[in-house]
Amino acid sequence: MAKEITIALAGNPNSGKTTVFNNLTGARQHVGNWPGVTVEKKEGNCSYKGYNIKVVDLPGVYSLTAYSPDEVIARNFILEEKPDVVVDIVDASNLERNLYLVIQFLEMGVRVIVALNMMDEADSRNYRIDVEGLSRLLRAPVVPMVANHNRGTMELFDEIVKVAENKAQVKGLKVEYGREVEEEISKLEKLISQSELSQKYSPRWLAVKLLEGDEEIVKKFKEVKVG
Amino acid sequence: MNQLMPLAMVSPGEVVQVVDVRAGWGFQRRLADMGLTPGVIIRVMNSQRPGPIIIDLRGSRLVLGHGMAQKILVKEA
Repeated sequence: MAKEITIALAGNPNSGKTTVFNNLTGARQHVGNWPGVTVEKKEGNCSYKGYNIKVVDLPGVYSLTAYSPDEVIARNFILEEKPDVVVDIVDASNLERNLYLVIQFLEMGVRVIVALNMMDEADSRNYRIDVEGLSRLLRAPVVPMVANHNRGTMELFDEIVKVAENKAQVKGLKVEYGREVEEEISKLEKLISQSELSQKYSPRWLAVKLLEGDEEIVKKFKEVKVG
Repeated sequence: MNQLMPLAMVSPGEVVQVVDVRAGWGFQRRLADMGLTPGVIIRVMNSQRPGPIIIDLRGSRLVLGHGMAQKILVKEA
């Protein structure tokens, strides 16, 4: 009986998610629709080293706020379905903007692999990316790729299996918001830890979202009892 | 000349720096999500009416309505 791994492919629009998806799943993919919305989700399956890997291609987003349906879909999939690994496809030639989404995943406390795609494009612009340094700072694995030439796919597979096997190790990344905000975060965090929501989501992340006034998260709190 | 003007008034081809977004919190946040933050240098690619304003922002293009661009204050870079 093969072991199952579910991974989500996320990333900014045009970062090459679908190319990576096709590389990972080959020809065995089928296209499905999310219920109730027009944004497409693709699902495919593949096997690697005795694992059955379900790959879910999420809509391309710039952030994980609750503004547009595609963002809500991407976020809810990760929050509710809890994939074993989130592979964030990053455009290496546009690193600054793409890293914003990476940070948001890391703050959520999910297991992230950064797939540093379009390395050839970055090279041609003379960008020198310190892959190991990036990995150290983000406290997450970083896999350089050129997806449209199918380079880096095996390395990504290896990393997926490695991360999925070490389920307990979520290093996460704590973004410091400064003293005033941190005080409010820890007050909220304490209260949230007593609620049932804290079993499903990171209390610190929930606290940050509450302070942001995130509608979806506020809604969750209206349905919950504290204490 | 280094005075502030709304992005909507910048001609195509000009390079400007974003100074401020005079809008509600939600819109500011949304723009920041897309990389449009105070201090960033942008190039206006199209600003002619009718049609949207297109800017070159951090290596990719962002399309804005004229109403939105009216709320984004820039200066010459």
